[in-house]
Amino acid sequence: MTPAVVRAIIRAVARAVWPAVLLFVLVTGPVVAGAQWLTYRTPGIPRLANGAPNLKAPAPRTPEGKPDFSGMWFANVPSRDYCKEKDCIQEERMAREQINLGIKLKDGLPYTEWSKEQMKTRRANGGREDPHAYCMPPNFPRAWTLPQHSRIVQTPSMMVVLHEFNAAYREVYLDGRPLPVNPNPTWNGYSTGHWEGDTLVIETNGIRDDMWLDIQGSPVTESARITERLRRVNFGLLQIEIAVNDPKAYTRPWSVTIEMAVQVDTQMLEEICLDNEKDTKLFKK
Amino acid sequence: MTNRLSRLAVCVGLSFALAPAASAHHSQSEYDLRSKVDVEGAVTKVEWRSPHVWVYVDVTNNKGEKVNWSFELPSPVTLMRRGWTRDSLKAGDRIKVSGAPAKNFPTIAIANSIRDDNGKPLFTGTTQIYEPEAESKESR
Repeated sequence: MTPAVVRAIIRAVARAVWPAVLLFVLVTGPVVAGAQWLTYRTPGIPRLANGAPNLKAPAPRTPEGKPDFSGMWFANVPSRDYCKEKDCIQEERMAREQINLGIKLKDGLPYTEWSKEQMKTRRANGGREDPHAYCMPPNFPRAWTLPQHSRIVQTPSMMVVLHEFNAAYREVYLDGRPLPVNPNPTWNGYSTGHWEGDTLVIETNGIRDDMWLDIQGSPVTESARITERLRRVNFGLLQIEIAVNDPKAYTRPWSVTIEMAVQVDTQMLEEICLDNEKDTKLFKK
Repeated sequence: MTNRLSRLAVCVGLSFALAPAASAHHSQSEYDLRSKVDVEGAVTKVEWRSPHVWVYVDVTNNKGEKVNWSFELPSPVTLMRRGWTRDSLKAGDRIKVSGAPAKNFPTIAIANSIRDDNGKPLFTGTTQIYEPEAESKESR
């Protein structure tokens, strides 16, 4: 075998091996390079032929036959680009209800005189007393509208809602227990759930007296009873009717419906607000 | 210029919504959203931490003095979902930044645009978002 033949064989082998090497790099590269699982495919979900999630597939069900709300969720707001040149850093998807939970109600929320006074003060102060501004917990139902993600984990006897902001959690007992009597007030209160057909009805009491429902400062108080009705319309869409009965803050019970979009091929990322909080100093002077 | 101003107006998001939209965790009262600040200089430090990333930039003012500006960005979580990493900006990088100044602090601002020395936007990433069809148009 002449040296020329040997070189030709080496070149041929190299050509044959190169695609395999490339394939190996492509397959293993993202796994090695990706610091998180932000684009890692969520297994076990309905998909279309092109690999995208089939958002219109039927809502999944638990082995017990109940609708399964498990998954990551974010307010169903369009991802439209507010910034034509695409370097607008502050662009974020945001539910309108984050600013005003009653934005879709024709006459707005039915504030009592006490609430109106509260909101006047809050507005005059530029919203600087907003608990959220001070890194306080993401209280539900406000948390549904915040620009962080939620993850629902559902078992037959309990639903847990995790929230990225402050790595928070909320428990909803599905085991038939009654709501507590004279509960010690907390940020999320005490929640129980029961099924009405395919709708999960969550009742909550025992929330603190000084909670905000939105950025404009709509109050919700210890006298509130909150009912959330969750319905998974299909794989992609979760509908939540939020009904508030709070005689201290509102002249009558009211309800609004928000929508959440399933989030797939991503992961929860913790956002600990007090880690490096520097904005509160900007409120001063 | 008008284009830039209108872009800022749109970017900073619909009046009252700006700061909350931008940051979610803080008050809308910190920044003067009607004003604009444009600077260029060298990054001295990047704080890649929640709830907001801070980028510090050495800027030479018109008196020839070096001033260190602080720019507030969204959270690392938001930026990661749009393709940035903690290494996207580093000390020594020369950048052009525009944003809205803090009301009461002369060298603090919220950043709306960051470009490299050649004017190329550094912040262009978006994540794949799947949008289910809303039940009603009203709900959007």
